[in-house]
Amino acid sequence: MDSSKLLEVKDLSVVLDGRKIIDGVSFELKPQEVLAVIGPNGSGKSTLLKALVGTVKKTSGEISFAPGAKIGYLPQRFHVDFYLPMTVKEFLNLKPEHKYPLEEVLRLVEIPEAWLKENLATFSSGQLQKILLAWAIIDQPNVLLFDEPTENVDVVSQESIYDLLHDLQDELKISMIIVSHDLNVVYKYANTVLCLNEKMLCYGEPLTALTNETLSHLYGDHAFFHHHHFGEHHHEEGHEHHA
Amino acid sequence: MPDIFTLTLISGVFVAAASGLVGSFLILRRMALMSDALSHVALPGIALGVILHFAPIWGGLVFLFIGVTLIWLVENKTKLATESVTGVMFVTALAIGALMIPEQDLLEAFFGSVTKLTALQIGLQTLVAAAIIAFILIYLKRLTLFAIAPDLSASLKISSFKMQFVLLALIALTIAIGISFVGVLLMSAIVIIPAAAARNIAKSFNGFLITSVVIAILSLISGLVIGQVYSLNPGVMTVLVSAGLFVVSLFWRI
Repeated sequence: MDSSKLLEVKDLSVVLDGRKIIDGVSFELKPQEVLAVIGPNGSGKSTLLKALVGTVKKTSGEISFAPGAKIGYLPQRFHVDFYLPMTVKEFLNLKPEHKYPLEEVLRLVEIPEAWLKENLATFSSGQLQKILLAWAIIDQPNVLLFDEPTENVDVVSQESIYDLLHDLQDELKISMIIVSHDLNVVYKYANTVLCLNEKMLCYGEPLTALTNETLSHLYGDHAFFHHHHFGEHHHEEGHEHHA
Repeated sequence: MPDIFTLTLISGVFVAAASGLVGSFLILRRMALMSDALSHVALPGIALGVILHFAPIWGGLVFLFIGVTLIWLVENKTKLATESVTGVMFVTALAIGALMIPEQDLLEAFFGSVTKLTALQIGLQTLVAAAIIAFILIYLKRLTLFAIAPDLSASLKISSFKMQFVLLALIALTIAIGISFVGVLLMSAIVIIPAAAARNIAKSFNGFLITSVVIAILSLISGLVIGQVYSLNPGVMTVLVSAGLFVVSLFWRI
């Protein structure tokens, strides 16, 4: 693998319990690149991230990280038991390696220091995502894998977490793989998009890779009305882009 | 040399501290009832000890390890529902054990037989308890992360299979050393009740662990002393004290 890549995935397949989840996916990630992985629910997006992190075993294919690559991972679900007695500070200190002082991490993810003493269970899912983000960057990764939550986070929190990721990417110059079912994420934040529905249905720059045909194929025809809406949005975004 | 009751009290502090710590992780992993069921599996082992005249704790320990290995295998290698298998397996073990143990020894096995402990057994129990405490403190971060967020711990290359087995082995050891104090039927009380009460009170994780340990020690020592003074069963008294503290913790929360 040449030094211009942080990650190279070749012909990756994952079979779980006899069911094919991911079939022959290949892509690469360059330094500072933001790759969005999109696809409907159950299309293998989360499994793809888990295979990269190593919590799900690949069935075949190659996953090679560059020698200097260091991964930060934000899982899709971080369910905190309402009765879990743990402060934010205690949680962040569970991370084995700290490269930044806590204050610096808090500044980066825009968390007030007062949160440190608060109990994890008192935060909303959107706020917990920020705390998880702090957890993920505390040991200075250069690849951030972000598995978008599909439930329990309101739209405003979603927007702000993506803006935050964007700012972080600017400031820390890290690469990101963002898994999402939301096409807006792609147009706003990504350099590259990968459409996944078991197989890889598109890969490339968003404006060229995401045709209406690809989208209806990706999400299925029965969902066409829903995604027609996304298509319009795409159009508007496109105009803004050109303006 | 201090008398045997003083030795028992000292040992009790260590055993209770180990129980309080292990119980905290069981509560977080929602394994409370599993540990209750598991403690019953020690009975056939204790029965073998009684029948063949060796210290029952060894028989109990062997059977507990067979039990945790089976749970671990059922959970990881089969598609069977762990809860139902655990339920069936352990009630069966209880029945077999009860059948094997002579009737006059059965109550002791069920509710504890602290007065029959020898100095050697007390020493061994204390050592094992100290080892459990040391192990948990050394691996505190990993155990905690695994208990509260298995996804995150797995992403740090901490093997869930191994961690699960470690936790089960810790439960087995804790039950084995606690059985002589409170017996097979009441064992889970000294593991679970202190941690459950501590969770009601604590605002931080360190506070949770410390409170759980303190409540466990308070309960066991009070139980032993009350039992000694009023000639009551110390195991039963320990459970009642800890249950009382649990009730207090409910009001503390409000």
